[in-house]
Amino acid sequence: MAWGGRKFDAIVIGGDHNGLAAAACLGRASLRVLLLEAGDRLGGAAVTAEILPEYEASTMAHLVEALPRRIERHLKLSKHGLRHAARDLPTVALDRDGGHLVLPRNRKDVAALAGTRPADAAAWRVFDARMKAHVALIAPLLFDDTASIQPALRRLVWRAEWRAAGTLADLLHLLPQSIGDLLDAEFEYPLLKGALALDAVLGSVDGPYAPGTMLRYLHRLALRGLGRGYSIPAGGLGAVTDALAAAVAAQRGEIRTGARVSRLLVEGGAIAGVETADGTAIIAPLVVSSLGRRATMLDLLGAAHIETAQVRRLPATAPAGSVAKVNLALDGLPDFRGLSSVLCGARLLIAPSLDDVDRAATLCAQRDIAAEPVMEITIPSIADPALAPAGHHVMSVLLPFMPHDIEGGWPARSEAVLQSVIRTIAQYAPDFADRVIAGDLLTPPDIEAKSGIPGGGLGPAERPCLHAGAARQATPVPGLWLCGPGSHPGDGATGLAGCSAAAAIVAERRAR
Amino acid sequence: MTPDTLPPPLGEQDAESPLRPEIDPQDERAAVDPSLFEPPAGAPPFERTVLTTSLHAAVAAESRVNRWTRWNGFTVAAWLTDLGDEYRALRGAATLADISPLIKYRIAGRDALAFLDRLVTGEVAPLAVDRAMHVLFCEEQGLVLGDGLLFRLGDEEYRLVTEETHLAWLMDSAIGFRVRVEDVGDTLAAMSLQGPLAAFHLSRAGLAGIERLQPMAGCWAALAGIPVYVSRTGMSGDLGYEIWVDPEEALYVWRHLMQAGAGFGLYPSGVGLRELARLEAGLPRAGRDYLGAFAAIDPVHARTPFELGAERQVALVKPHFNGRAALVRLAAAAPPRRLARLVVDGLEPARFVSVLADGRPVGIVTTTGFSPALGCNLALATLDTGALTARLTVDAEIRDELAVRRVVLPARLVDEPFWAPARRHAVPAPLTA
Repeated sequence: MAWGGRKFDAIVIGGDHNGLAAAACLGRASLRVLLLEAGDRLGGAAVTAEILPEYEASTMAHLVEALPRRIERHLKLSKHGLRHAARDLPTVALDRDGGHLVLPRNRKDVAALAGTRPADAAAWRVFDARMKAHVALIAPLLFDDTASIQPALRRLVWRAEWRAAGTLADLLHLLPQSIGDLLDAEFEYPLLKGALALDAVLGSVDGPYAPGTMLRYLHRLALRGLGRGYSIPAGGLGAVTDALAAAVAAQRGEIRTGARVSRLLVEGGAIAGVETADGTAIIAPLVVSSLGRRATMLDLLGAAHIETAQVRRLPATAPAGSVAKVNLALDGLPDFRGLSSVLCGARLLIAPSLDDVDRAATLCAQRDIAAEPVMEITIPSIADPALAPAGHHVMSVLLPFMPHDIEGGWPARSEAVLQSVIRTIAQYAPDFADRVIAGDLLTPPDIEAKSGIPGGGLGPAERPCLHAGAARQATPVPGLWLCGPGSHPGDGATGLAGCSAAAAIVAERRAR
Repeated sequence: MTPDTLPPPLGEQDAESPLRPEIDPQDERAAVDPSLFEPPAGAPPFERTVLTTSLHAAVAAESRVNRWTRWNGFTVAAWLTDLGDEYRALRGAATLADISPLIKYRIAGRDALAFLDRLVTGEVAPLAVDRAMHVLFCEEQGLVLGDGLLFRLGDEEYRLVTEETHLAWLMDSAIGFRVRVEDVGDTLAAMSLQGPLAAFHLSRAGLAGIERLQPMAGCWAALAGIPVYVSRTGMSGDLGYEIWVDPEEALYVWRHLMQAGAGFGLYPSGVGLRELARLEAGLPRAGRDYLGAFAAIDPVHARTPFELGAERQVALVKPHFNGRAALVRLAAAAPPRRLARLVVDGLEPARFVSVLADGRPVGIVTTTGFSPALGCNLALATLDTGALTARLTVDAEIRDELAVRRVVLPARLVDEPFWAPARRHAVPAPLTA
């Protein structure tokens, strides 16, 4: 083989954003890195592909939500070709009668809300300040990398003491609650409640009234605070992957696709390398896996190399993904009733009320789908005209609460689901159905197969936990590290898990 | 109705045997047989019944004193006639006892060897088919969870026989291995034929050539036309065999053996004798002489293999097994405690309370007994390592009718088992006493 006899300092398994980020970060620490991807393309859920010739869209994930600026700068992603076509997208909750609501991001937006809904605007000011205070309090805990929780908790208590006495009590009161109950108590405007609820639970199977969704919401807000709001990269999400891959290549890292790792080689209790499916052994003293902890430890390493007690502590298999994706090619911009053309390029939410979100979640648990699904829509070709021929557009629709094993099976239901999506959007944009040239639906099983990530990797499907600690990246086997889902609180498409794994590895090498 | 009382859904019932679903030998997923936790068909829910072994009818027919005790939930005979008579039969001729309450697991599948290699501290790979070995298994901290006898029945089939249940641990350990772990306690009866005439009785019962069976080996044979698995194993420290058989046919095998041996001193016996014989053989028992790591609430009462004197069963050369990292650390230092065999001279049975060195308590006594053959009190005790060289005494209680006398008796340590005749390893096994 081409790499036979070559020496590598580290092998990264998995070419999704975390694997690429880990490879790039290790490369920057002057390690010779080999990245092995089982599929024939990189990127996991962050890829761009054609719907029709000349119509391109982000196949799966379609917004950069929380790519930390720290990582963008550290890996010099802009030098490697990452451009943002639109930054800090506003979020618009669509209203059937044209009274669309822009989720307030600043004072001007709140003032606009106060014009129509003074009570809700006042409640928003209180709610927003409250959430910001809580996020400021727990974000350091969420992203803390030290193994022990005590110092982080101590700092949290000090910060709470320093700010306001009531914050910590309020936080502890809120955390186990559901976002739905809080929204019901605070707001009246169904559109606002629906949009905030969808924001909190997008990507999970939990309904807005599920206990613990408050933590989900705060976690989301904290993640968003790492980046600079929602952005659309020029060239779709695949551009992020390409930039990361270029960053790896710039550090003389090598990337191989179509190289499935079948098992890890262990010698004397420590990692010695990997063996690929075709039987090639590649030797390296360091292996970083972006697969889940369970898959890495049981399928690649093998239970024979770890203690029963450690197997017991492995997290359960990732929950099945519940997000579907519809990519549509349009022959013109649909006319959303009452929506200014500036806001057309925004992140559009269809979640008319809290009840609609709750019903979607309930139906999903019953392996069914609402007749009018809730959804998140972007039209990336407004900001990035290169995605479609002039005058034409592509639309990207993320559908939460799509059961993985739908009643009757996806092949039988997917056409009806696609039609119900088009019908639902047509209620907001009457000319929409005529504008669709082509479209395809990626079901949750499709997304899982295409991205190679269990659960699909669109949004944090796993329940976030308050403190993860560095213990999640390390493993009991010396030389084996994890950078995949569950190894850092920042699940979503952040690349944080990859970077912090690399940082932990470098710190450990320095300590030796 | 509560879920417990709901009748099983239709289609799940097996037409042929509603109690025991047929076991698919190709199925390699670790699974618990749900019938283990279900009341027998027809029995009202929550009905409390005396749990008996499949040999109960035969044992009850032999009982002259109606002395019963419980063992792993089963009602078994403490002794059947007189402990002294049974003891003399064991050491002078042979005894037959029901040992069905032992916990038995069938471990089978492509990864059975890899699974066991990770599970136990010893080396399993050299174990040949139809051989048995004594194994210990530890948890992460190197504390012993239990011990047992591991039989290799086929290329990919093993049987683990333990004193206590370990199903949860075995199931968790099976994650990631293509192996099936089953509790076969209900589908396998066992009886133990021990004593210097054990081989004689088996050959008289029709197992010609059984004397050539190696110690810790087993073979398939037929007794009274019934297929049985005979292994040269046991807890008596003497020549002895254990017979593993289908529970439905166990009674016939028992009767056949008793009839064949009736005129030659074969005695039925109970668990009281098993305890005494085990003490004479110096074998510690889980739950009595040490607690499994998960059973010990205070970790001080859990033991490492080194504290149990089982260094030879810890193969630190194996690349990985449960508890290896901790055991490598522990092996470097002398264990703080050690299981020891104590002899206290004196012709009366006494109950030991504690072990003293120069008047200072240095350990606890876990099993005591009076050995008629040796004419002394024996004990298994856990002693502080520092006290092993000191002059030891024991605090003892001697009962005189209603009165209790407290005395301090001199004790000494013994390295070898109290009872270890050469015939237990002899091949061919002697056919005469």
